[in-house]
Amino acid sequence: MDREAFERKVFDLVGYMATSGRNLIDETPLYGPFRLVDAASRLIEILEQEGIGSSRLSTLREHIDAGKYSVMVDAEEFKNHLDAVVDAVVDHMDSGMSEGGEGSRTSM
Amino acid sequence: MELYEAIRGRRSVRRFLPESIDRSVLDRIVEAAIWAPSGGNAQTWRFVVVTEPERVAKLRTVSPGLLGDPPVVIAICQDLGEARAKGSTLGETFLAPVDAAMATQNLLLAAHAEGLGTCAIASFHGRAVGRLLELPERVETVLLVSVGRTDESPNPLPRRTEGVIHYEAFHG
Repeated sequence: MDREAFERKVFDLVGYMATSGRNLIDETPLYGPFRLVDAASRLIEILEQEGIGSSRLSTLREHIDAGKYSVMVDAEEFKNHLDAVVDAVVDHMDSGMSEGGEGSRTSM
Repeated sequence: MELYEAIRGRRSVRRFLPESIDRSVLDRIVEAAIWAPSGGNAQTWRFVVVTEPERVAKLRTVSPGLLGDPPVVIAICQDLGEARAKGSTLGETFLAPVDAAMATQNLLLAAHAEGLGTCAIASFHGRAVGRLLELPERVETVLLVSVGRTDESPNPLPRRTEGVIHYEAFHG
């Protein structure tokens, strides 16, 4: 693992989250939940790039990304999308890194 | 590209291909922007075209609305000092952002005509962007526009017309 590159990615994510925190005071309320799940997606992407992801995390990222931009289109659709993401979290609670068919994507 | 085709065909895109954009193309779309009208012909807009990957990355960090990984970001700015001098309070507080918006629409359409995807955003931290772009104190960023080639073609969102367009007087 390139520690410096990893730190840079985390730094950028922290910057994104901190700036979102400030800007959301003045922005469309629905952008708050959007930024939260988008940050979750970005975090998982960083873990994948560093080889410390997992099948269930990748599944959740794909799930988040598939519907996150519905926030720009329809509030109800976005809400339903987030409900489905939470359902997916519950579905994967009992499958750890070494379970769930594809198994761990870790290289550690 | 025919004008109405460009207006109806432009989309906000949030996924970009990692391809650089020729300087000549960027020059053309920014020049299209400055052909927009401005209140009192003030032309107090300023444009900062960012192509250095490192600086684009830093802008993304303090601009939550900049989604995807665009190769180019154009900051649509206003010299508020000059806007105040030319247009008083109206120039600074109203005409400056309106003029910037009109220029931005020209830029978006020109980029679309060049086969580029764009997204205009206001979700950024103004002071942080100002520091990264080394803007003088009198110059403020109004919008950021991400620019790049894209393989994304979002479906058009429905446009409401009922209750939106009125002839002669407001009805209802």
